[in-house]
Amino acid sequence: MKKGTNAYRPRINWKKEARLLPGYLIVVLWVVFTAVMLFWILGASLSTSREIFSGHVLKFESGLHWENYATAWQVQNVSVFFGNSLLYSVISCAGVLAISAPAAYVLSRWKFRGGAALRIGLVVAMSVPIIMVIMPIYSLAVQWGIKGRLLLILLYIMMRVPYTTIYLLDFFSTLSRSYEEAAYLDGCSGPKTFLKIMLPLVQPAVVTVTIFNFMSVWNEFFMALIFTSSESMTPVGVGLLNIINSMKYTGNYGGMFAAVIIVFLPTFLLYIFMSEKIIAGVTGGGVKG
Amino acid sequence: MRKNKAMIFWFCLPAVLSLLIMFVYPVCRTVLMSFFRVESLTAGLGDWSFFGLGNYSKIFSSQSFRTAMSNMVVIWLVGGLITLALALLMSVVLTSGIRGKKFFRAAIYMPNIISAVALATMWIQYIFQYDYGLLNAIVTTLGMEKVKWLGSDMKFWTMTASFIFGSVGYYMLIYISGIEGIPQDLYEAATLDGASKVQQFFRLTLPLLKGVIKTSITFWSINATTFFLWSKMFSPIDTEESTIVPVIYLYDMVFGGKGVVNRDAGAGAAVGVVLTLLIIAVYVITNRLFKKTDLEY
Repeated sequence: MKKGTNAYRPRINWKKEARLLPGYLIVVLWVVFTAVMLFWILGASLSTSREIFSGHVLKFESGLHWENYATAWQVQNVSVFFGNSLLYSVISCAGVLAISAPAAYVLSRWKFRGGAALRIGLVVAMSVPIIMVIMPIYSLAVQWGIKGRLLLILLYIMMRVPYTTIYLLDFFSTLSRSYEEAAYLDGCSGPKTFLKIMLPLVQPAVVTVTIFNFMSVWNEFFMALIFTSSESMTPVGVGLLNIINSMKYTGNYGGMFAAVIIVFLPTFLLYIFMSEKIIAGVTGGGVKG
Repeated sequence: MRKNKAMIFWFCLPAVLSLLIMFVYPVCRTVLMSFFRVESLTAGLGDWSFFGLGNYSKIFSSQSFRTAMSNMVVIWLVGGLITLALALLMSVVLTSGIRGKKFFRAAIYMPNIISAVALATMWIQYIFQYDYGLLNAIVTTLGMEKVKWLGSDMKFWTMTASFIFGSVGYYMLIYISGIEGIPQDLYEAATLDGASKVQQFFRLTLPLLKGVIKTSITFWSINATTFFLWSKMFSPIDTEESTIVPVIYLYDMVFGGKGVVNRDAGAGAAVGVVLTLLIIAVYVITNRLFKKTDLEY
């Protein structure tokens, strides 16, 4: 069997590879630089401040300092920031889906008054800069007395509705209408058809769009900076900024790098496992020439 | 299939409400507010007094706003040229048939996935760091004096460079999907006609990518005008002349930064409107420039 598989492997064409050498050089340099940066940060997160300053990172002469992670997690409040970000991301993802999936479904299925306007409104909203909405949102929140965690979650949900709806709409449009015809003949109601038959059919798209929503909320910074008034509701991005700003007083560099790794890890791990899906999603939804 | 009006209504209602609350109402109010004298954000409509173009003349006569605008334009133009050129280069390399394409593509896009705060921290606390940073380690190995990469004269460019590093991957993905959409037989025909790889790039790839390039310019313009996070990271506590951009100016003006005695929400709204008009202008101009030669394949 081994011989058989070998025969199918394309032989390396050295002439062709040599011609591509400049190209290899460019991308390899870029990726090596990225890797050096990540490994150094990882090394620094396991080193003492003195080792970092004397340039002895990645030698680990005094062992691996896992206590940096414990310090970051407990003393520097990263556990609180992490919990908040997780809470915001998970609830927002679910909330967006609950709002966007039904709208995307009916928009893709029927023509009705206001449907076209809603569609255009959603597309335009996707490119409205956040600075155009942040000020009235702030006064509205004060006026309605909504604040803290609830406010951020509501804002994150509404912020992601246009993108999510348009993304799902494209996928619902590709489904055949025969599913609904059959369901109708079997006496299945409209909403039930949507929930039991149509929604499961677009599950791959739901997964992709949820990954994007998760990363977007996890990495969100501007609204978090404006609307968090205490440490207890701060998500990771703003929390990390606070840690860096207090570095002057704590001087704990190892702890800071550990915090960077903790903040960096969730979306990075998600990416390691789902990079194909994520990359396909970037250019799949709405980006057309 | 029967049209169920009640179902359509209830299925759309939450999305419509989100759109109205999060986008339509705020945009209208921001535009209106830019023509009024409004000191506090929470002031009701009754406390607004008509100010005409007063807010606009106020921001344009402010030295820090003009600095912010010129910084932004440099980021947009210089940063944009470098980012899009690098992205184009990477996309051409990755579609040239090299091995490990998927790995390289994923690795170069990776900075877009992680928290930008974490990424900026890596640059500031490692690459550009004075005592133990990567660049100064290289500089000392070469036998030269250490450089203050984060000093006020270098800060703008180091900030822009790290922003570019984080952005290239996204535009690269857009270009790759554009290049992969070009039928392969066009290249075969060009090779048969004796066109070199370089000729093929300029005569074939580039013209056929026009639509994608147009899209990428619009996206870049939105990113450059709403530039905020990197500036905040490079000057975390006090706003500095070297890194100030319009959104930082707006943030200080409306939400209170150091050195801002009188908050002014009206002026902040005017900044928002000016930036939005700029984005629309770039969109319209690129559409005009790229429209005439729409190619079909």
